[in-house]
Amino acid sequence: MKPIDVIIILVVVGVIVGTVVLSVIRKKKGKTACGCDCASCSSCPHCNAKDSKES
Amino acid sequence: MLRFALAGNPNSGKTTLFNCLTGSTAHVGNWPGVTVDKREGLYKKCKEPISIVDLPGIYSLSPYSPEEVISRNYILDEKPDCVINIVDVTNLERNLYLTTQVMEIDVPVVIALNMSDVLKKNGDKIDEKELEKRLGVPVVVISALKNEGLDELMERAYEASKKKRIGKTVLEESELAHVIGDVKIALEGQGVENPLFHAIKLIENDEIERTMHAETVKMVEAFKKTFKNDLFGVDFEALIADARYKYICKHYSSTLTKKIKGITDTRSDKIDRVLTNKWAGIPLFLVILFTIFHLTFSEDFLWSSYWGLPSLEALGVMVEGAEGELEPVNFGIALFSCLYDGVIYSPGVVLFNLMDLLTSTVFGWLTEGIASLGASEWAISLIGDGVLGGLAGVLSFVPQIIMLLLLLSILEDTGYMARVAFILDRIFRKFGVSGRAFIPMIMGFGCSIPAMVNTRTLLDERERTLTIRTIPFFSCGAKLPILVAVAGAVGNMLGLGDGAWISYAMYVVGMALAVISIIVMRSTTQRGEVAPFIMELPAYRLPSGKALMIHLWDKTKHYIEKVFTIILASTIIVWFASSYGWDWRPAEIQESILASLGQFLQPLFTPLGFGSQLNEFGWVFVVAAITGLIAKEEVIATFGTLSALFTTVVAPELAVEGATDVMLMTIGTGITWQALVAFIIFNMTTIPCFAAVAAARGEINKGKFKWTILFWVVASYIATSFVYTVLSWWWTAFIWAAVIALVTLGIVIWNKKFAK
Repeated sequence: MKPIDVIIILVVVGVIVGTVVLSVIRKKKGKTACGCDCASCSSCPHCNAKDSKES
Repeated sequence: MLRFALAGNPNSGKTTLFNCLTGSTAHVGNWPGVTVDKREGLYKKCKEPISIVDLPGIYSLSPYSPEEVISRNYILDEKPDCVINIVDVTNLERNLYLTTQVMEIDVPVVIALNMSDVLKKNGDKIDEKELEKRLGVPVVVISALKNEGLDELMERAYEASKKKRIGKTVLEESELAHVIGDVKIALEGQGVENPLFHAIKLIENDEIERTMHAETVKMVEAFKKTFKNDLFGVDFEALIADARYKYICKHYSSTLTKKIKGITDTRSDKIDRVLTNKWAGIPLFLVILFTIFHLTFSEDFLWSSYWGLPSLEALGVMVEGAEGELEPVNFGIALFSCLYDGVIYSPGVVLFNLMDLLTSTVFGWLTEGIASLGASEWAISLIGDGVLGGLAGVLSFVPQIIMLLLLLSILEDTGYMARVAFILDRIFRKFGVSGRAFIPMIMGFGCSIPAMVNTRTLLDERERTLTIRTIPFFSCGAKLPILVAVAGAVGNMLGLGDGAWISYAMYVVGMALAVISIIVMRSTTQRGEVAPFIMELPAYRLPSGKALMIHLWDKTKHYIEKVFTIILASTIIVWFASSYGWDWRPAEIQESILASLGQFLQPLFTPLGFGSQLNEFGWVFVVAAITGLIAKEEVIATFGTLSALFTTVVAPELAVEGATDVMLMTIGTGITWQALVAFIIFNMTTIPCFAAVAAARGEINKGKFKWTILFWVVASYIATSFVYTVLSWWWTAFIWAAVIALVTLGIVIWNKKFAK
């Protein structure tokens, strides 16, 4: 296997693992339930774990 | 850390102030009910950091709506260090009604007289010093939109938060003062916090108070029996409201000097005479909606195909490329071709073409670069066909989605959205929902998630449930690529050229399905009276360019983030599953893992037109529809990923002709145009993306949620099957009509027998 092929495999695996890890981290932080961020969303606190507990 | 709460009437500018103070980019709109829950941000310019809490807009502290409960509970239970009461100074008396209630709580209060810019523009004046003297709390004139007076507001709020404040009421002068005093003393004796506020609410017969202080209710009733008013009798709620307004008119109204005395028509009134006209209102709304879609989708923006303009080929600026396809002679012509090719494209299509040119150029270089580094064939295929092919398919639509969101945001910011609810109330009421329900539905054109959460402003639980269930039928921005790409292929097959009309028709079909579903649900599982509809119509105003840009930037950022995470990962998996067999060795697409999974599920889609009746490659449509359950953009990304692998096996000559991904699938599978239309309908109406499903789960109770999922599956299956069969065999319309008649009869009989 050529070095460039190895790099491509590593990048591709990195993307998949990274996406999964990122989703888990976000879910744990309660930052998002929709894959996007909350800054512009009028429903932001709905998805925010901390606020949900408060309310 | 200090906590300041922003409380005020709906549409008084709380969120605009919140954004200015905290640097947030929370969504603002010119209609009541944009904010449905509280949110927090940090203000750092004071002597110490202050947490700012933006509360939903409310008219009173009585628990009439969920927003009023949220705001009331926050102020009473969370005990903020200061309440900044935002008052729309152009509607002083009505806004001060809430102020008189907030002042009854033992909490420091500062009044922010907002919209001073509009006041100045109208030539009116406010004597804030005099108002401050009469209210007994600090009053600051601000303009959140122009960022004026905010530092002074925060300084005074900071000072106020350091001093203890005992609640005061304007009802001291009223004939109720004695009763209020008696109840207050009784509550103080029980050690109740905020006794004045609770005493007044108990006298008002406030439901929450009666539950909270059940043991005191009898005593309060005894106190109330000693009192009777000639006008209101024993309706204490009306009596208190009347006393408040009388006090406001007598003591506060004179602080506002109006340039024009009496009632005159404002600019908004004049515009409303046309836009909310009984006869012209709905046709004008349809024209506005058509204009939005035409600006976004149309390939023949000015109907220039009827002008007989020459194509670029006829102008001799296209040459034959190395692989036999036609391409522009130079980069300048390539850019020009994004704007014109015998027809003038709409702004949305121009942006799409430019993005397509950019992605195809850059991704082409990337693939060539990887090949020149000596990568293996499979690696080039993975990057070129799998990853970049899928991403290009989705990224090209980003500008068009932004265009659609921009136009919908303008509708919101001008104040027209509230009018739409108003003019549609008359029609929607007949179907079983109020016009208010249409606001979340139209928000669904942008994204289903905030739309579903916005249904919290609907008071009737059943109205909420059926609104949430129908929101996905209002095709969101993520479904736009499916609409445009597949409708384009249908237009091509039918020789219509421009698929824009098919896209419009799909939006109409979605809305029609929503109405039919509402009627069916209101007659069966969600019976009930339509809730009364009261909504304040905000004044029209020009949208703020800054607010629009911030909103769009946020949406774009998140969309691109989604493309480079979830969609990118999915395209890699789709490529792998379509290039390898179950033995983990490279395989032809037809022997791949994906093919076997698709073929397994294919029969289920036969009644919908894209199942077993297609040739051996027909499973690609099934796979695309299923990946769309993760995120709707996945459908086109899957087509993009599969197209290159697909072409090499099915029709190598099509790659040279530069056919679109969907056209390749169409020719390769033998799918009919009727089935393609059915494919669009299915994707538009079936279970929405994971995120929207999660939002629905949060908004609907558990028992109803599983039925909601079933509803989406059944409704989309029936609607798609109906469209496919009727378009393919017109006479089946009679069979459908007979079935619909039988079902309707069944519902009527059932209702007569068991509904009671």
